[in-house]
Amino acid sequence: MAKRIRTWFKFSPSISAVGTAVVGMTLLCLATFADAATPVINIEIKGHLFYPAEVLVPANTKVKLLIHNTDSTPEEFESYELNREKVILGNTRAVVFIGPLAPGEYPFFGEFNMTTALGKVVVN
Amino acid sequence: MLLDAVIIVLRETLEAGVLVSVLLTIANQHQLGLRWLMLAFMGGLMGAVIYARNMGLVSSWFEYVGQEVLNGLIQYSIYLCLLFICLLVSSRLSIKSRVLMCLLTLTVALALIREATEIMIFFSGFIGNSDVLSKAVTSGFIGLMIGLSVGALCYFSIMSLKRRWIRPTQIVVLALVGAGMVAQATQLLIQADWLSSVAPLWDTRNILPEASIPGQLAYAIFGYEATPTPLEAWLFLGALLSIPLAIVLWRSVSNNNKSNSAVDQEIPQ
Repeated sequence: MAKRIRTWFKFSPSISAVGTAVVGMTLLCLATFADAATPVINIEIKGHLFYPAEVLVPANTKVKLLIHNTDSTPEEFESYELNREKVILGNTRAVVFIGPLAPGEYPFFGEFNMTTALGKVVVN
Repeated sequence: MLLDAVIIVLRETLEAGVLVSVLLTIANQHQLGLRWLMLAFMGGLMGAVIYARNMGLVSSWFEYVGQEVLNGLIQYSIYLCLLFICLLVSSRLSIKSRVLMCLLTLTVALALIREATEIMIFFSGFIGNSDVLSKAVTSGFIGLMIGLSVGALCYFSIMSLKRRWIRPTQIVVLALVGAGMVAQATQLLIQADWLSSVAPLWDTRNILPEASIPGQLAYAIFGYEATPTPLEAWLFLGALLSIPLAIVLWRSVSNNNKSNSAVDQEIPQ
């Protein structure tokens, strides 16, 4: 048995290289396909407020939030319910993936302006 | 007083404070002095300045998920450092002091880069408004002091233990902190869509909300999350158990080597 394993390993580099390439290409294609199919929702941060403050998201679906901070100051998108946190510099945009989520409400806030920058994801 | 500044600085200081305090007890036990800590602080703060200044560039990497990838990488690296620190602390190698010192320095520097970057970016938002900046710095100082006090409490609690309990406590706390780092890093890769996300394994928001003070403490110690995904939970468990398992394996290999060399010496040439 050990001899058989050693023999397999002797020829395995080329096999594993081809295998890795095939798996890699498949994953890349899947990732590209998955990304293309992911709904995108735009959120704007302006005057330390989120627009829209209420984001509607379909249930059990992965969603890409494209957050554009149009303020000159930085902000941190944070949500305990969504398990998400991300620093977004002033006048830059950021991507945050959320879901798939069960129906319900998931509050989020801007940690650098937590009294004004408030919003929620509503999953239907 | 700016409450935001207190909370942000406190949260970041808590996370680093617990880790640094345990590493300080290890340095104290091995009589490593404090030079390594100064080096770690200098390196960590320099790294944080560089990271904060280039945050825009880093964030744009990998289709705007570079921040998650780099932070995740830092946290996985901290776990690896903690794993080797636990191995060295539990071994009886005579050459370990220098290696241990390097690992302690690297761990603290990485933790500082991770935590201080966010604080620097937060304060950068007040540059140009000196009144608000001075209020924010004062409030941040309060947060820093509370965080340092918790770290000091952690340090003196460990040092006040009976000698035979100190090492096991250090290893248990480091294993928890390290496993928390792995869970947080995994969460970041899920956020970046590099790992797939599924429904949470459980929901303990009603028992221990993450936003509460005990929840924040639990987050600082072992990366507590009320709604972890199965992947996070399994990797947390795997990372947690890997440390004692690695120590047992390391010890058995060391003992075998010792007994083999003893047998070699007994055999007449």
